[in-house]
Amino acid sequence: METPVLSVAGVTKHFGGLTAVKNFSFDVQPGEAIGLMGPNGAGKTTLVNIIYGIYKPDSGKIRFRGSNIGGLSPHRICHLGIARTYQIPQPFATLTALQNIIVAAIYGRGLSRPDAEKTAHEILEQLDLSPKKNTVTLDMDEVALKRLELARVLATRPSLLLIDEVAAGLTEEELPRILEILRNIRQAGVTILLIEHVMKVMTEAVDRIIVMDRGEKIAEGNPGDVMKDRKVIEAYLGEPE
Amino acid sequence: MGILLGGLYSLVALGLSLVFGVMKLINVAHGDLVLMSTYLAFSMMTSFGLDPILSLVIGMPVMFVIGFAIQRYLLNRAFKISMEAPLIIAFGISIILQNFYQIVWTPLSRGLTPSYAMLSFSIGGLNVPLVYGLDFAVSLIVMLALREFMKRTYVGQAINAASQDRGAAQLMGINANRVYAFAFAIAMVLAAIAGVFLGLTFPFTPQSGVSFLIIAFGVVVLGGLGSIAGTFIGGLVMGLAQTLGGYFIGTGAQMFVAYLIVFIVLGVRPQGIFGR
Amino acid sequence: MKVNPFRLRGGLAPLLIATVLLALFPLIGVPQNWLLYLFLFFIYLALANMWNWLAGYCGLISLCQPAFIGIGGYTLALMTWVGLPIWQGLIAGAIIAALFAVIISIPVFRLSGIYFAVGTLIVPELLRLFFLNWRPVGGLLYGKGAGYAVKGATTIPATDIYWLTLIICIGSVLMMRFILRSNLGLGLAAIRDNASSAASSGINVFKLKFYSFVGSAAITGLAGAAFYIQQGFIEPTSAFNVRWTMVLMLATVIGGVRLEEGPAVGAIIVVFLHFLLARYGGVSLLIQGVILVFIMLIAPQGIMGSVRRALSHRTPHLRRQPARTRG
Repeated sequence: METPVLSVAGVTKHFGGLTAVKNFSFDVQPGEAIGLMGPNGAGKTTLVNIIYGIYKPDSGKIRFRGSNIGGLSPHRICHLGIARTYQIPQPFATLTALQNIIVAAIYGRGLSRPDAEKTAHEILEQLDLSPKKNTVTLDMDEVALKRLELARVLATRPSLLLIDEVAAGLTEEELPRILEILRNIRQAGVTILLIEHVMKVMTEAVDRIIVMDRGEKIAEGNPGDVMKDRKVIEAYLGEPE
Repeated sequence: MGILLGGLYSLVALGLSLVFGVMKLINVAHGDLVLMSTYLAFSMMTSFGLDPILSLVIGMPVMFVIGFAIQRYLLNRAFKISMEAPLIIAFGISIILQNFYQIVWTPLSRGLTPSYAMLSFSIGGLNVPLVYGLDFAVSLIVMLALREFMKRTYVGQAINAASQDRGAAQLMGINANRVYAFAFAIAMVLAAIAGVFLGLTFPFTPQSGVSFLIIAFGVVVLGGLGSIAGTFIGGLVMGLAQTLGGYFIGTGAQMFVAYLIVFIVLGVRPQGIFGR
Repeated sequence: MKVNPFRLRGGLAPLLIATVLLALFPLIGVPQNWLLYLFLFFIYLALANMWNWLAGYCGLISLCQPAFIGIGGYTLALMTWVGLPIWQGLIAGAIIAALFAVIISIPVFRLSGIYFAVGTLIVPELLRLFFLNWRPVGGLLYGKGAGYAVKGATTIPATDIYWLTLIICIGSVLMMRFILRSNLGLGLAAIRDNASSAASSGINVFKLKFYSFVGSAAITGLAGAAFYIQQGFIEPTSAFNVRWTMVLMLATVIGGVRLEEGPAVGAIIVVFLHFLLARYGGVSLLIQGVILVFIMLIAPQGIMGSVRRALSHRTPHLRRQPARTRG
C-alpha cells in the first residue's frame, strides 16, 4: 500500500473538562475522497483545526505523506500542500473576488503577480465566479462566498483539500453543479476530506465515510453501509431536534 | 522589602489584569487612572486635612463612577468602531490625564505624607517602613476580597463568564456592555486603592502614570494574564527583582532594571513565568 | 455595487506637481516662517505615513515611534561627534533604528501581538532612562540629561534642510504607494481583513508584520535624524517624548487611518494646530488628546474617509469584522 496522504493517529484534544476529540485515528489514501460526518458538536471542525495546526493536540500524531506536521503553523501547512475551507466563509472582505484569489496564488503557491492573475481568472471561470470577479467580497451573498472560499484555497494548489461544508444552504437545483465541481477537483488529482451535512453530496462525492460522535469514531465504511449502521442512526436520532 | 513592595505592585496590576481578562484590551491609560486616585487623595489631604487612607471612602466611589462612565461612553462605543479604536482612545485618555494633572497640580514631585508615613517597625533586625507593611497587608486583603466577590456575587460571576467566553456569556443573557462597564468600574476601584498606597510609598509627578503602567504590565507579564494568584506572585517577583536590581546596580537604575526585566521575560517566556 | 472605502486610487500627476512647486518655494522667496511650517509638515507627514503603515495596514498600534525618532537623532548627533559627515549620520540613523526594531520585535510581537501596544509604549521610556544615564562621548558638560549638539548642523543652510526633508517626505509617500500596490500591500490587506484566512492561504503573518515594523522604523529614524539637523541639538526627554506619538497619531486619525491620503491631510491640520495651540503651552497636548478621542468616536474614518463617502453619493456599508487578532 502507498503511504497515506494524511494519517491521523490517536489524536485527543480536551477543552477544559470537555473532550472534543478522543483517540481519533484514520488514514486518507492518495486520490481518495473521504467524508467526515456527525451530529453538531461532534468535533469535526475541531479535528480540522487540529490537522491545520490551529489547535495543538493533547496527544496523537498527524502525518502528511509520512512526515509529522504536528505543531506547524498554518502558513507552513498551506505551503506543504494542504488547504482548508472554513464552515463560515472567511474572505478578505475589502478585496475583490479576483484579489482574494490572487493573494492565495501569490502567497500560497509562490506565483509572480502576472501568473497569479492568470491562475485566478482560470479558477474563477471554473467555479462560475467570473461575473463577480470585481465585486468586493463584503457585497457578495452567502452562496457565492462559499464558492469563493473554495476558489481561494484551490489557488494554493493543494494536494489535500479539507472542505468544511460546501453545500449547506444550496437549493436542490444547485447541488448537481457543486458535485460536478467536486468531481473536477478530484480529477485534477486532489485528495479530499469533506465535512458535510447534505446527504446527497456525501453519498455521491465520497468513497468512504467516517462518522464521528462526541469526539469518537463510531463508524467507517462505504456510504451505503454506514447509513445503515445502527450506531450512526442512533447518534443522529439521539440528537435533540 | 521587595516582597512587601511586591504586594503593592500586584495591587496596581489587578485592575489592568481584570480589564484585559474581560475585554482583551490592554488599557494603556491604567497608570494615569491609578494616578488620578493618588492626586484625589493628595487634594483632600492638602485642602481638608483628610487622611489619605480615609479619603478612599470618597475616592473609591468617585473612581467607580469615572470608570463606569469611561467604559460606557467611550470604550464601549470604540469597540464597535474597529479593533484599534479602543487602544487609540485609551492612549488619548492617558495624554489628556497627564496634561490635566500637570496643569492642576503642577509638574512638581508630590507625596502623600500623613503622620504615620515616617514610622517604621522592625522584623528580624530589619527596619521596615510602616507603609510597606500596610501595602502588603492591604493588597492581601483586597485580593482575597476580590476573589470572594468574583465567586459569590452575580456581577462577579457575570464578569468571570464574560472573560472566559464572550459568546457563551451572551447566550446566558448577560449584557456584555453592562458587564464591561462594571468590570472597568471595579478595576477603577482597585486602581483607587492602589493609587493611594502608591502615593504613600513613593513620591509622584504627573508623569508617574507611565511608570505605574509599566509596573502593572510587568507584573501581568511575569505572573501570566488573568488570574488573581498569578498577579500576586508576579507582583512579588517584580518587587524582589527590582529591589535586588537596585541593590546590585544602583538605585538610579532601579526603574530601568524593572523595565528591562519585563522585556526579557516577554521575549523569553511571553505566557509569564507561572503561566501555562 | 457598494463602494469599497479602502480602494486604492489616485494618479501620480498631482503629487508630481506638488513636489515641483514645493521644491521651488525657497527659490521664489517664500517667507522663512512658511518654510519652517512646511519643514514640520514634511517631517510629520513622513512620520504619520510610517505610523499609518503599521496601524492602518498591519493593525499594529505602535506606541514606540518616538524611540525610532530619538535613535535616529542620537545616532546622527553621536556620529558628528566622532567626526563623520552628516549625510552618513542620517543613513546610520535609519539603519540603527531598523536594527533596534529587529531587536525589540522579539518581545513585542509575542502572544500574537496582544502586548504590542503596551510593549511598544515602554520602549521610549526605557530609552529615555538609558540616555539619561549614558555618556558615550564628550566631557562632563555633555551627554546624559544635557544631551548633544549636532556638530556642523549650523553650517547647513536652512534651504538645504528644507529640500532634504521634502525628499524624505515625498519618498515616504512614494514608498507607501509602492507598498500598497505590491504583493506586500495585498498580503497586508488580506491579514487585516482576516488573519486566520490569510494564514491558511499561505501568508506568514508574522513575517509581513515584521518587515513592515522594521521598514517603518528605518524611515521614522531617518525623518527623526533630519528633524534633529534642523534642531541642532538633542536631549533624552524631548527626543523620546510621547508627544511624538500624539502628533503622528493625531495626523493619521484626523486625515483617516488606512487611507493613503489620510496622513497628508491630517499633517496639514496638525501643523496648523501646532502653531495655533503653541501659545497655550501645557494645555496644547490636552486639547490634542481631546481632539483625538473625539474624532475617533465621532468620525473614526477621518476627514478623507468622510470625503470619500460624500463623493461616492452612496452610503458604503461597512460590516464590522469580528475581532480576531488584536495588536
